[in-house]
Amino acid sequence: MNKALAPPTAAKPTVDDIIRSQRRTRYARGAFFTLLLIMVVWSVKVTVIDDTDWARIGSLANVLKATNRFIGIDFSLFPTLIGPAIETLMIACLGTLLGVILCIPAAWFGAHNITPYKPITYPLARLMMTLSRSIHEIVWALFFVAAVGLGPLAGVLALAVRSIGFIAKMTAEAIEDIDPGPVDAIRATGGNDFQVVIYGILPQVLPQVLSVVVFEWEINIRRSAILGLVGAGGLGLVFFRQMNTFNYHGVTTVILAILLLILLGEVFSYFARKAVI
Amino acid sequence: MNRALDRQPATPQREWSRFKFPGSLIKYGIWLSILVFLAYTVKYLDIPLDRLLGMFGRLGSTLANRYYPPDIEYIMDLDYLEYVVETIQMAYLGALFGLLASIPLGWFGSYNMTPSRLYVFPIARLISMGCRSVHEMIWAILFVTIIGFGMLPGVLALTFFCTGFAAKLFAEEIEAIDMGPVDAMRASGANLFQIMLFGVFPQVRVAFTGIAIYTWDVAFRAATVVGFFGAGGMGWYLKRNILQIETERVAAILLSIIFLVLISEVLSAWARARVMKMK
Amino acid sequence: MAVLEVRDLCARYSASGPEVLKGISFSVEADDFFAVIGPSGSGKSTLIRCINRLVNPSGGEILFYDREVTKLRGRQLRLLRRDIGMIFQEFNLIDRMSVMDNVLSGRLGYTGNLRTLFRAFPRDDIQHALNLLDQVGLLEFVDKRADELSGGQRQRVGIARALMQNPKLLLLDEPTSALDPKISREVMSLIKRMTTELKVPCLCNIHDVTLALEFCNKIIGLQDGKKMFDGPAEEMDQSMLDKIYEMEVL
Ligand SMILES: Nc1ncnc2c1ncn2[C@@H]1O[C@H](COP(=O)(O)OP(=O)(O)OP(=O)(O)O)[C@@H](O)[C@H]1O
Ligand SMILES: [Mg+2]
Repeated sequence: MNKALAPPTAAKPTVDDIIRSQRRTRYARGAFFTLLLIMVVWSVKVTVIDDTDWARIGSLANVLKATNRFIGIDFSLFPTLIGPAIETLMIACLGTLLGVILCIPAAWFGAHNITPYKPITYPLARLMMTLSRSIHEIVWALFFVAAVGLGPLAGVLALAVRSIGFIAKMTAEAIEDIDPGPVDAIRATGGNDFQVVIYGILPQVLPQVLSVVVFEWEINIRRSAILGLVGAGGLGLVFFRQMNTFNYHGVTTVILAILLLILLGEVFSYFARKAVI
Repeated sequence: MNRALDRQPATPQREWSRFKFPGSLIKYGIWLSILVFLAYTVKYLDIPLDRLLGMFGRLGSTLANRYYPPDIEYIMDLDYLEYVVETIQMAYLGALFGLLASIPLGWFGSYNMTPSRLYVFPIARLISMGCRSVHEMIWAILFVTIIGFGMLPGVLALTFFCTGFAAKLFAEEIEAIDMGPVDAMRASGANLFQIMLFGVFPQVRVAFTGIAIYTWDVAFRAATVVGFFGAGGMGWYLKRNILQIETERVAAILLSIIFLVLISEVLSAWARARVMKMK
Repeated sequence: MAVLEVRDLCARYSASGPEVLKGISFSVEADDFFAVIGPSGSGKSTLIRCINRLVNPSGGEILFYDREVTKLRGRQLRLLRRDIGMIFQEFNLIDRMSVMDNVLSGRLGYTGNLRTLFRAFPRDDIQHALNLLDQVGLLEFVDKRADELSGGQRQRVGIARALMQNPKLLLLDEPTSALDPKISREVMSLIKRMTTELKVPCLCNIHDVTLALEFCNKIIGLQDGKKMFDGPAEEMDQSMLDKIYEMEVL
């Protein structure tokens, strides 16, 4: 039936043709993976095998013994954990909030349909987003600790700056995807730019943005739990102290506390996002 | 309102207000409590709001005086460049091992394709959540205390972190597939492994590649700092110079990190675009 | 001997949910082309999916060549499914694989894991696939990706894939509802021709009553999970159809 449609030159494939072409793809794939494997083995050799002080690690039994030290919970630590846990949570909240405020200009400049002057503001916003995301929160925290001193404020600032990238990027994408109809409608009734944003754009992107913010908040809990390592307050400081005093059970306890906090955050964010969408 | 209705039964006067009794009250209540909570938070954390603005001014002058000009020569040094290469290697090994581990973990942790919903599924989910929730810095510190300084703890830390990160995304991707081909494979008598290879994998291949690129991005960013606590790579340089208050060198190192991340971003954006086109 | 004997089949999708099939019995003989008709939601797909156990029945018996199959598990179940081909309404092809690989995927039940991993199917299977593709008229399309084909062509690939299994029974779940009327007829007659040639009995869900009357020799009418009619196609008349489809009008 379809033979009439096929190009007249197309030769009928035979079993041998097919087996041959299958074999060819298989060999090509095999060569690719072998190459990959060689590369991996090489870097494993350079980075892991040569670099590691195997004598210090000793036998597997030693490693297991070292791991074993961590198994156990230091109950005496509980009362001292509550304050830092609350602090961690609050740093995450404030950091996210500040991040949302800071990301407003970034999102506005970074959405190519509403950016004020495309050749300048658009790349500027993109640069802001990339800078914010490319520097690890630990580095940001160090930076702000140097600038505003030890304490939660440095953590809040670090999280805020680190959050700009993701929130602004998602918001800008949401704005780029909006339905232009309502915007035109507001313009048609004579609304100014501000009114266009409030009535035409905000209602359309709000659910998405809120869900992104809640998501980022959840991640920020995870981040704020370690900012204390460099002196920016919260559970990280307790972790650091336990580590320095070789109280390994205490270390495990702090990690479990962090996990609990993150779990709470996840549950909350699950329901919050459900309520938002 | 009732009287109005009595007088004009045909066209009742309609009243409208933005305020609807229980709904609006709850809404404003929530906003109010959020505000109160935030105010309390600021107080609890002892944040000096009045001095905040001044701090930014100081930050600017600090930047200008102490971090400028960055000591570019320092980062052009061969020793440092070697650390950069090590960082890259660490990142890609961590990402690779993490991805390898997260493929089965993502499969077992996907509700539709897991071998057993009762046992395997929750265990896989728990493992991936655990790996993901512990911050890469904590993984690094733990591995450093267990096996000492070097790149191995860095690679291990990144592996655990990437495993958790990618496993969740993989699982979500598998849960979103079209079950039609899976049904067709099941109906032809294929076993679970064959169903994965023929019914599932072709559908998620492109998405998996995208996720793998994304994982690389995240791993590379993390690799620049795991060295901070002795787990190899350029993080160690950063820490040393910060401790010695060599601010101009710190600025140079930060610049090099930003530069590398930018390159990696551009490359992965390009790769992702290629992959999407392959679809 | 009956190929398939179904007795008092009941099915539900969840323990507390409504019963979707309420005691269906019928039997398919070796040379039957059986049609299952009924309004939407009457349980046609469920019935067909119970037979190869894509849906687990909650009660009743299914005898396939005198073998009770409702309790099979694991390898035994896969061996049963290998003997029963299935063609789907939405084709269910693997979109990103070539036509050849799609057809070969019908052989998975006969293929080991290692061969599956490298897609190294035996020579005989490839020959068989080429023959089938020739018969459905798609020989020129072997290397095309499945998502580049038209609906009718895709369903032909689906037919070839199902016949690749050397099935002892063919299940068809509305094989033509996603196609336009002309192509529908072509595809149906192709299925009819090939299954008669290969002597494969068929059980076919079908929405379109005229197609059912034209191609099938026996008909079951379902309504709301109950059997309303079971007999040769000639005995089906308008009043019976009205009775079967009365629910749909409401
Ligand atoms: N996966 C499922 N989970 C729960 N209920 C289902 C599921 N699939 C089908 N049902 C229900 O079972 C009943 C029968 O569905 P079935 O798909 O067998 O009908 P059908 O006769 O094939 O309809 P159609 O002609 O529309 O394909 C319907 O009421 C449907 O809602
Ligand atoms: Mg159906």
